[in-house]
Amino acid sequence: MTDRITVEELAELMKKSAGVTVAPAELRANDPGFDSLGVDSLGLLGIVGELENRYGTPMPPDAERSKTPRQFLELVNSALMTGA
Amino acid sequence: MSGPHSRRAVITGMGVIAPNGASTDTFWKATREGIGVLDRVTREGCEHLPLRVAGEVRDFDPSAAVEERFLVQTDRFTHFAMAAADLALEEARLGRTVTDAAPFSVGVVTAAGSGGGEFGQRELQQLWGKGSRYVGPYQSIAWFYAASTGQISIRRGFKGPCSVVAGDEAGGLDALAHAARAVRRGTDVIVAGSTEAPLAPYSMVCQLGYDELSTESDPTRAYRPFTSAACGFVPAEGGAMLVVEDEHTARERGAQVRAVLAGHAATFTGASRWEESRHGLAHAVRGALDEAGCAPEEIDVVFADALGVPEADTAEALAIADVLGTRVPVTAPKTGIGRGYGAAPVLDAVAAVLAMEHGVIPPTPNVFDICHDLDLVTGRARTAELRTALVLSRGLMGSNSALVLQRRATGAS
Amino acid sequence: MSRRVAVTGIGIVAPGGIGVPAFWDLLAAGRTATRGITFFDPAGLRSRIAAECDFDPAAGGLDAEQIARCDRYIQFALVAGAEAVRDAGLDMERENPWRVGVSLGTAVGGTTRLEHDYVLVSHDGERWDVDPDRAEPHLHRAFAPSTLASTVAERFRARGPVQTVSTGCTSGLDAVGYAFHTVQEGRADICIAGASDSPISPITMACFDAIKATSPNNDDPAHASRPFDADRDGFVMGEGGAVLVLEELEHARARGAQVYCELGGYATFGNAYHMTGLTREGLEMAKAIEAALDHARLDGTAIDYVNAHGSGTQQNDRHETAAVKRALGPHAYDTPMSSIKSMVGHSLGAIGAIELVACVLALAHQTVPPTANYETPDPECDLDYVPRTARARKLDSVLSVGSGFGGFQSAVVLTRPREKTR
Repeated sequence: MTDRITVEELAELMKKSAGVTVAPAELRANDPGFDSLGVDSLGLLGIVGELENRYGTPMPPDAERSKTPRQFLELVNSALMTGA
Repeated sequence: MSGPHSRRAVITGMGVIAPNGASTDTFWKATREGIGVLDRVTREGCEHLPLRVAGEVRDFDPSAAVEERFLVQTDRFTHFAMAAADLALEEARLGRTVTDAAPFSVGVVTAAGSGGGEFGQRELQQLWGKGSRYVGPYQSIAWFYAASTGQISIRRGFKGPCSVVAGDEAGGLDALAHAARAVRRGTDVIVAGSTEAPLAPYSMVCQLGYDELSTESDPTRAYRPFTSAACGFVPAEGGAMLVVEDEHTARERGAQVRAVLAGHAATFTGASRWEESRHGLAHAVRGALDEAGCAPEEIDVVFADALGVPEADTAEALAIADVLGTRVPVTAPKTGIGRGYGAAPVLDAVAAVLAMEHGVIPPTPNVFDICHDLDLVTGRARTAELRTALVLSRGLMGSNSALVLQRRATGAS
Repeated sequence: MSRRVAVTGIGIVAPGGIGVPAFWDLLAAGRTATRGITFFDPAGLRSRIAAECDFDPAAGGLDAEQIARCDRYIQFALVAGAEAVRDAGLDMERENPWRVGVSLGTAVGGTTRLEHDYVLVSHDGERWDVDPDRAEPHLHRAFAPSTLASTVAERFRARGPVQTVSTGCTSGLDAVGYAFHTVQEGRADICIAGASDSPISPITMACFDAIKATSPNNDDPAHASRPFDADRDGFVMGEGGAVLVLEELEHARARGAQVYCELGGYATFGNAYHMTGLTREGLEMAKAIEAALDHARLDGTAIDYVNAHGSGTQQNDRHETAAVKRALGPHAYDTPMSSIKSMVGHSLGAIGAIELVACVLALAHQTVPPTANYETPDPECDLDYVPRTARARKLDSVLSVGSGFGGFQSAVVLTRPREKTR
């Protein structure tokens, strides 16, 4: 298992956990806000929960309050890198 | 705004997602023709159950009806509700530009008899199969009975009075009555009705405890109320949402007034005490007529509850005779689509409005050889001048409800 | 002139307070009834605490058949209902049953039994195509939420309008509000109103875990429910049931019944914002308060006590504080506002009715119940939350408010018996 979450994996999680389809390229290029994508606070909690189950490690509490995918990935990846 | 005494609640839009059609037009066409669509249950995980026949909604694509995120975040009963509400609001020509101007003047009332059972079963499976951390965040808002009212209110920006009747079958009529009363108290519009989705495996197992449930496997024989072959009822999914509006407001904005919610009353005579439902139903009918200011002989057609249990059918036939006599035409189009719990009488109300508009009483599919003193319309639709219709409903938990609908000529006030 | 509606009887099953005297003792003393979950092994959950009722249905007067047939939340309603009807001095045999209604709320109904039987029929969550032969006999009653009002109606011989109301966490307020309309508008002379929920089960705990709405303060359960306190970290799950007998005032007077207070006003609105989220402004709750005051023909300055929703989540307490300030204006600062959820937890749909019983008792005892565990002020919650100790106060009119998932915002006004003026 990779220890870095990619934009592709986030896009897949957004689809699975929040029901929002968005192309990874779009996330990479424009970093649109979760709000504008239709991912609400519950959707983000679902994504965090799914990641915690996959990686068997808690995510930083701020992750679920991220405003954009880039911010989110920075937070969760720094947590995974430090081997939390 | 006019005073409460002068406010009248009318129907200005109807949206239907039913086993026989996912639009008001297709529903009416099949209903008028008496086409029965009951069939073997095909939903995944249900094939082995002793409940074999139901009214499934097959002609409905949720992904075409609601935004993608709702497919993950809400249950099937809410997909039906959102789609039906959209259809009703479109028919009533109540777009966002109208409703956004006065969000507190538009509310939502639904009746919910079983909640988001399929969603709930999936999350229970996560919890018990994998562990509590696998329960998703949307379980907290998708399973519960209030889901559809909440989602419609949020999706359309409606901030008026919002309610949920967690009723049995009769709850569908109670929801319409709630809406009518809210309109009389001063809210301009209430989007009201009921949709249900009880055809998931665990929900179906839960229903097996009802003695009144039909377990017959032949779809044409499974639900035949008022006959000597009556063997219970067949469940169904889907339902309808109506736009209930203050008549004055509706006319001001040039909306078409389809019918008046003229009178309603509800009584209770105990779960499965069908013999006693005779008096309960008669009492409710008298109350509804009284509120409508309507004489018994003014009722031109009755949409019966038609449970399909001999004792209950007898009680209903007698209740109708007690109040209205035995000459009034009676119909039960739900024998063609099944009983969708709280949604069933709402679909009957839609059929009643359309019957009045078209001057046609739709028939009772699959039902022949009536064994009660009842003028039941069977076989083919019957042409008739209809000005006032009565919709009856009884619930498995003991409620009886009656609703009087009146036709309103365009321009009258 | 519309009919006036009196409260003539109350009954309650609450954590730490089965029956009205024990319940008021708890509130007046500011004791908390929250503890580590004992109903099942909560290992693995984020929130492992709750306010559980030490409830013995047999001691509450239920027979073996009723106990077997009725889910726990219905047992609560039957026991609370019997206490309320007795308290009202009603002999149901003498009342016209067609003029007696029932309006009861529940948020999650029979979930606990539904989950119990699900485990059996699914072979511990293995099978989607569940096994019908393992289902227990009364499962269909848990499936249908209308079982609640139906069972209570049968018990008390009601034949009028009988309804179960389910608007999430405002179910209790709304059920009493609908009952109020039913009696005021003449569809019944008596209505047995209230709410009940028994949600302390793995699925309900897990789903609130998933949205981090419940308190993870597992090490100090007695102080975990901290409404309005700066250190609050979520609500503590509760359970219980409460019933109020609502009666047309002249009907009550004619039979010489006690009148605790009158239902003055009720209103509800949707926030059309988010299924679980609340705005900071509280506009829609404020609107509900204003409409309830209007219904009661009272000005905001007439309110002597606000019984808060006060769940103890960050967003709720700020939302509610803003709403009350918006509706009552400067008078909000002079009005005590407390949350009994600090003591009895948050029993979802039931709590609105439990809080109304607390309001009835506050009026009767001329005493404001406190907010237990309140220690550290939050700058955004700057009203008088009645910290830790009950307070004697002259109370004529009180307000109870609630918020529910789905966006529901409801308000009820209760007033001491008097001639209305405005």
